[in-house]
Amino acid sequence: MTAWRIAGHAVLLAVILLPSSAMLCAPVVAQTPTAGEEAAVDFNNDLMPIFTRFGCNSGPCHGKSRGQGGFQLSLLGFDPDYDFDAIVKEGRGRRVFPGAASHSLLLQKPTGATPHGGGRRLAEQTPEYQLLVSWIQQGMPRKAPDAPQLQKVTVAPDSLLLANGESRQLTVTAHYSDGTTRDVTRLTQFQSNESPVVAVDEAGRVEAGMITGEAAIMGRYMGQIAVCMVSVPMAGEVPAEFYAGLPRRNPIDDLVWKKLERLAITPSEVCDDHTFLRRAATDICGRVPTPEEVESFLADSSPDKRAALVDRLLLEPDFADHWANKWVDLLRPNPYHVGIKTVLNYDRWIRQSFRERRPWNQFVHELISSKGSTWRDGAVTMYRDRRTPEEITTLVSQLFIGVRLECAKCHHHPFEVWGQDDFYSFAAYFAKIGRKGTGISAPISGSEEFFFAGTSGEVRHPITRAVMTPKPLFGTATVTEETEDPREVLADWITSSDNHLFSQVMANRVWADLMGRGLVEPVDDFRATNPPSNPELMKLLGDYFRDQQYSLTELVRFIARSHVYQLSSLPSDRNLADTRYFSRHYRHRLRAEVLLDAFTQISGVPQKFDAMPPGTTARQIWTHRTESLFLDTFGRPDPNQDPPCERTTDSTVVQSLHLMNSEQLHQDLTSDGGTAARMAASEMEPVPLVTQIYQLVYSRKPTEDESSFAVGLLTAEGANRRQVIEDLMWAMLNSPEFVLQD
Amino acid sequence: MSSYQNCEGITRRDCLQFGVGALLGTGLVDSLRVRGEAGKQGAGPRAKATSCILIWMDGGPTHFETFDPKPDAPAEYRGEFTHTSTAVPGVLYSEHMVKLAASLGDYAMIRSIRHDQGNHGAGNHYMMTGSPPRIPVGCGAFVSFHPSMGSVVAKELGRDNGLPAYFSMPQMSRSGGPNFLGARYAPFVVGDDPNRERFRVRDVALPRELSEARFSSRTDLRGRIDRMVRLNDEAAGDPAMAFDEYFRQGYDLVTSPDAQKAFDISQESVEIRDRYGRNGFGQRCLLARRLVEAGVPFITVYDGGWDHHSNLFGTLRKRLPEWDNSVATLIQDLKERGLLDSTLVVALGEFGRTPTISTLSGQNAPGRDHWANAMSVLMAGGGTPGGTVVGSTDRKGHSALENVLSPENFVSTVYWKLGIDPDKVLYTPQGRPAHLVSNPTPIRELI
Repeated sequence: MTAWRIAGHAVLLAVILLPSSAMLCAPVVAQTPTAGEEAAVDFNNDLMPIFTRFGCNSGPCHGKSRGQGGFQLSLLGFDPDYDFDAIVKEGRGRRVFPGAASHSLLLQKPTGATPHGGGRRLAEQTPEYQLLVSWIQQGMPRKAPDAPQLQKVTVAPDSLLLANGESRQLTVTAHYSDGTTRDVTRLTQFQSNESPVVAVDEAGRVEAGMITGEAAIMGRYMGQIAVCMVSVPMAGEVPAEFYAGLPRRNPIDDLVWKKLERLAITPSEVCDDHTFLRRAATDICGRVPTPEEVESFLADSSPDKRAALVDRLLLEPDFADHWANKWVDLLRPNPYHVGIKTVLNYDRWIRQSFRERRPWNQFVHELISSKGSTWRDGAVTMYRDRRTPEEITTLVSQLFIGVRLECAKCHHHPFEVWGQDDFYSFAAYFAKIGRKGTGISAPISGSEEFFFAGTSGEVRHPITRAVMTPKPLFGTATVTEETEDPREVLADWITSSDNHLFSQVMANRVWADLMGRGLVEPVDDFRATNPPSNPELMKLLGDYFRDQQYSLTELVRFIARSHVYQLSSLPSDRNLADTRYFSRHYRHRLRAEVLLDAFTQISGVPQKFDAMPPGTTARQIWTHRTESLFLDTFGRPDPNQDPPCERTTDSTVVQSLHLMNSEQLHQDLTSDGGTAARMAASEMEPVPLVTQIYQLVYSRKPTEDESSFAVGLLTAEGANRRQVIEDLMWAMLNSPEFVLQD
Repeated sequence: MSSYQNCEGITRRDCLQFGVGALLGTGLVDSLRVRGEAGKQGAGPRAKATSCILIWMDGGPTHFETFDPKPDAPAEYRGEFTHTSTAVPGVLYSEHMVKLAASLGDYAMIRSIRHDQGNHGAGNHYMMTGSPPRIPVGCGAFVSFHPSMGSVVAKELGRDNGLPAYFSMPQMSRSGGPNFLGARYAPFVVGDDPNRERFRVRDVALPRELSEARFSSRTDLRGRIDRMVRLNDEAAGDPAMAFDEYFRQGYDLVTSPDAQKAFDISQESVEIRDRYGRNGFGQRCLLARRLVEAGVPFITVYDGGWDHHSNLFGTLRKRLPEWDNSVATLIQDLKERGLLDSTLVVALGEFGRTPTISTLSGQNAPGRDHWANAMSVLMAGGGTPGGTVVGSTDRKGHSALENVLSPENFVSTVYWKLGIDPDKVLYTPQGRPAHLVSNPTPIRELI
């Protein structure tokens, strides 16, 4: 387009051409072509890999939806028919000249003989160049006679144990329908899911870094994927007896210890009682413990008090609001889009489900097959918000089975097996949704709408225009003539006890909530190329969840009663760098709502939220439109955002500034009606007073040292008791011990 | 910064080094390309500007009564206002744009941007992000499908100096959010009115009742109270370490006299404050200039109430002279301080307004309605050639006629001037590539 683009692509050349050594790359059909006897070149088997390998059909080049320089290829080569037409038939045939093959634009451009925005990508005299020449000379056949079909790709070895710094070459083999195989390592694209642990270069050589851990190395060739799992244990030996001697409270522990043993990592010690109390209360109920709870829990000497605490927390009403608050993040739409009353109803339906402890399969089934009025039946709001089968498809597949189909809508998913056929077959379940009433209408979409099983509607494949038959991503879920509502069939399939993804995705989310990190990350991205950090544990959790009739309560109990959940965040001598295998607890910042409610509990001054009764907690707010500078600052999602995003637990300087200087927080903390004023006015002696403050803010007792320091401040000559209390509270609120969960 | 953690835990560095980027042949390519270009003269976006002030005229300002009058059109198009000549011979403005007419030599006017999103939600999204909304949205809708210019600039040009990199005053515009870039690049909203006495920028100054001495003793105390053990090794990924860093940055900001000066509008002379206009908008423009001086890369001055379906002329008679004065003063002041070259100023809304004057039912004073076929956009600074008028509309102001441009062209120009490649590929937390601007062609006349 402009000069700088060309200049830019020239730089790229160096990167692409460097590894182009003269490895042979013969056509499949003739393993060893002899001189004078040209082998028949097959477009699919021989040429398509070249376009992919040299980046011709990549997103920024000819693979983007508007092509590049008038020449468009299917993204990453997902549609060879399209590409064949683009090369042979479009552009008035000027891209290929059978008479003078080397003058074809298809060769002139990538070799730089004619100015090429993408720079020089292909050298003459390379096998790839020769293949292109031969194909053009042969008259550009669409298929070579008897060309076999690619059936699968394998990688060898498929699992590896490497020491730090050690490296190994992978080999990728393509298997064809006629039983032949071919080494396609050179034309395979490699990727590591944990490159600091194990890196892979363009030639398929893996190299372990200096970190302990595991990585999945993916090799992708012509839309087929093979994965090699590589483990890099920590240097040094840990005797097997060590692991055998570790406590096992339930099967979770056993599977975590097994993984640690493979990697020669050792777990941390068990955390303190006060740490456990705050951890369990914030994880299970989204609130910090009260000073009274701290007092009694620390004083309790029964050996099973931690398990009893978990059981008690699971019975609290806060449990429902906290977990509902997580789900409304992901489900609840923007009221300015779908209407205020509609969102209020939806929020109420979600919360009620959690209050009733409705089994997860029922919740999801009801949501997917929902019918009725937006003013009475909250669950239909999903269909009011997502109005096309395509939009619903991406949401439902990602949230409930952890499959991201967004990419497959337009092209073959570059990291997975899903293509457009899969996407639109899945979308076809949503083709016949009936609607009545007023749809989305400016300015506030305030009216009522009804949803029911309709009789007409279809989903068509965007390229072939074929009407799609509803089909699940795997397994069967057949829609027949008798089917009244195809969504019921889909809901049955999604929530089926055979659908391991359904139980595992939710189990993974809950695990991530309690353990600070998912077994699969991102938590809703399940695919062969993004394996769990502990597959056996992932399976155990999913199966347990299913066997407990999809009870969230039981799943939380199972995890929170494990030994692993009780581990300290402080490292052992062999796990400091572990951030994947749960050998220690991972600290994380508390959620916006939890922090604000904790602050309110400490300041003693209730928050006021618009459109909510007094005494409302942040986790009960029914829409992210309710103004709160605090919640926005600490990462509550932007209510305008679509699609919804998982929250970030990052800290930011804006958060530090808000805790430090917010006018509102300052007023609450120093209010005449607040905790500090009340404590100051009380007759309480300095020592118990300091204990109270520590229990309130840090959920623990002060150490002797801490106590005497704070008492010293209170009793210093001329000390203003109330100011000292306020200052102590401010200092504690601005420290990581308050903001983080340890 | 180099290992920016996005909202689902993939690091950008991973993507660049081996992952998504390498697979799709983009991330690495992109970074190399940008690096390659940096070494070349005359190629690629060379940063002229280091900051941008976006004046957002929410509601969709009329182009007729501002920068694109149609004196030869019939009365029902022309409206009640007459015109004035500008510093560029032959170019006319509407009568109340007196100061900006006189200073047209200092900035450029684009008269030919058009799009097809005639409601507020969609128009706002298109102009704020350079990307049309993915699905139809209602007028009252607040939507975000793509990162806004402010968030992108904050990510690309923000420095870890404690200052928020993206301010929005007194509120955030509908689609002014970060979308998939994450909360870290959300605008820092300053709601208070700088025209009020005792104005302060929230959270960067001490609470009003707190003395500096007490703050100092509090932070001292904090140092002694805080006993949490830190895992002092990057590999451990201890969030307490990040917390410390941000606390330090925040503390530096609050205690640094220079930084505090930036936020303290009362340090401006009475004369300069008067020049900008003693109203919320004028003082926000002045504060925006101070933030630019402090190194903030993107500031949105949100100016609401341009949706004149009725009583257009009555309202604008009062409003335009003040608005004209504040914006002209901002450009002039930046120029006098030698900041105009490094500061891009743009003023626009979501669309223009209908050519024919209408009186909606229930109203008695006429107005104009939404019209996305034509709009006027002001652009100053950052090397923008002064006195340039880009494109034109037809005789009745119906539609952009000559040199028709899109929101993509406009947004690309803004990025280009700030040294950000509009053809850059961003990655969503899902690893999905997203073009920064789908058509990355900047407006040639303004480069």
